[in-house]
Amino acid sequence: MKKTWAVMGTAVAVSAMIFTGCGSSNTTTGTDTTQESENTDTAATDTPAAEDSKGGDFSGLISPISREEGSGTRGAFIELFGIETKDTDGNKIDNTTDTAEITNSTSVMMTTVAGNEYAIGYVSLGSLDDSVKALKIDGAEASVDTVKDGSYKISRPFNIVTKDGLSEVAADFVKYIMSKDGQKVVEDNGYISQGNEGAYEAAGLSGKVTVAGSSSVTPVMEKLAESYKKLNADVEIEVQQNDSTTGVTSAIDGICDIGMASRELKDTETSQGVTATPIALDGIAVIVNKQNPVDELTSDQVMSIFTGETQDWADVQ
Amino acid sequence: MKEAREFIMKCVFILTACVSIAAVVLICIFMFANGIPAIAKIGPLNFLLGEKWKPMNNIFGILPMIVGSIYVTAGAIIIGVPIAFFASVYLAKFCNEKLYKILKPAVELMAGIPSIVYGFFGLVVIVPIMQKLMGGSGKSVLTASILLGIMILPTVIGVAESSIRAVPDSYYEGALALGATRERSVFFAVLPGAKSGILAGVILGIGRAIGETMAVIMVAGNQPVIPGNLAMGVRTLTSNIVMEMGYATDLHREALIATAVVLFVLILIINLCCSALQRRSGQ
Repeated sequence: MKKTWAVMGTAVAVSAMIFTGCGSSNTTTGTDTTQESENTDTAATDTPAAEDSKGGDFSGLISPISREEGSGTRGAFIELFGIETKDTDGNKIDNTTDTAEITNSTSVMMTTVAGNEYAIGYVSLGSLDDSVKALKIDGAEASVDTVKDGSYKISRPFNIVTKDGLSEVAADFVKYIMSKDGQKVVEDNGYISQGNEGAYEAAGLSGKVTVAGSSSVTPVMEKLAESYKKLNADVEIEVQQNDSTTGVTSAIDGICDIGMASRELKDTETSQGVTATPIALDGIAVIVNKQNPVDELTSDQVMSIFTGETQDWADVQ
Repeated sequence: MKEAREFIMKCVFILTACVSIAAVVLICIFMFANGIPAIAKIGPLNFLLGEKWKPMNNIFGILPMIVGSIYVTAGAIIIGVPIAFFASVYLAKFCNEKLYKILKPAVELMAGIPSIVYGFFGLVVIVPIMQKLMGGSGKSVLTASILLGIMILPTVIGVAESSIRAVPDSYYEGALALGATRERSVFFAVLPGAKSGILAGVILGIGRAIGETMAVIMVAGNQPVIPGNLAMGVRTLTSNIVMEMGYATDLHREALIATAVVLFVLILIINLCCSALQRRSGQ
């Protein structure tokens, strides 16, 4: 009995400590925000001048943040900004600076950029929120509309991976994804549709379809499965979330009917009899801290930041 | 009847013991079967001593990660062990009973906190503080060392405290009787007796620090370069595996398993040291 009290007492004491800890950190963030707004105020008045005259008030070492090697987002990012180059033998070389911080999750990327005034990173357009600021690239804002009309060029395909001899139900589901109705679901979720093969009519099939793969594609795939099931009550669709590589391997091995990948397939994968079909386009937003007065960068500037040539914010204003 | 029951239970216990052994054996077979060919393909020297990790270009050098793991672990030991040492001495010899009832469960609670929670705490509390103090991004060798130093406290304190308590009271009483002060008798009569136990605790702490993944990944920056100073980012062996496993294919994937082999061997060495020490203290 006595021991229980002691344990409970400790728990209370510890949680009290945690809460006071939170409280004090809150107050500090509070003062930070006031400072922040002052900064942004001055920054806002400064920006027009800074845009014309090179080098404004804002300066400091840039800390670029990148994703891990092999990530679909990183692959698309380095390709689109020309950070990836080819050597004389035609091998691709990733020139991302060695000092770039690496993270393997979108949420850590967002938290880091939100907490570091000098950070710059990139995330999928679908995961963007108010805690960070998305930059205009070459004058184009990052949004679904600008990706669609082609003015914002930083985007990558979401692929589904299928093998020959697809079951009738699975083929019907693929047909639905590529139809007008399926692509509308894609659009409604903040991604950009890829192709449109007319209206879809339920064929009255029954059976089970297993879909597995990339965690980036999973959210939209779940929505697609949901709306497909409304039309085909007898079909069961199971969506398993893991990663692009597992998705492709499972499609090859026949563990799942349809694999999901947020990257292009490798030659070693396509040689094993699978084909990729893009079902959606996802924009990649370049993000900075909200206190950062920079609103716009050219793609050359982004490249030189991520290859380590430009190291100070004063050089890109 | 009774004998039959005895026999059946004996078999049950042997079976349960075998399960854990089988697990270890299977893990060893899996890792070495997948990892050794990869190391052979890359070349053991290129793999272990290569300073560049560019899997997309088929350059697999894990020296930065080996050095990173060692730096971060050493940092954690420098920060965590002195605190844990004095804390365990206090808990075992100087703490009054009331306070002990609060402190001991609190330390045990620390051991139960999931590492991802420590990682998030590090990301939102320690990283901003380090950003202000040292500039840069705040994710560095030092940040990771501080966080790991906190995380190894319960392991080290637990083992060290029980080994101090295991020293016969006659040592302490004898020292007091010879006219030594309380502090002097604890530090110069009791502690030398608990030396190997405390060392075993420290080694367990090293094992925990070197194997830690989720917390480190969030605060270390993860750049695959050998850090030049404490404010630079670092990537450990464990984070290298977790970060890239999801997207790795072909040789890249095998190289990650080979990284696990290196880590496994390191931890094996640490555990062997630990059991050697314990055997010596048992004699």
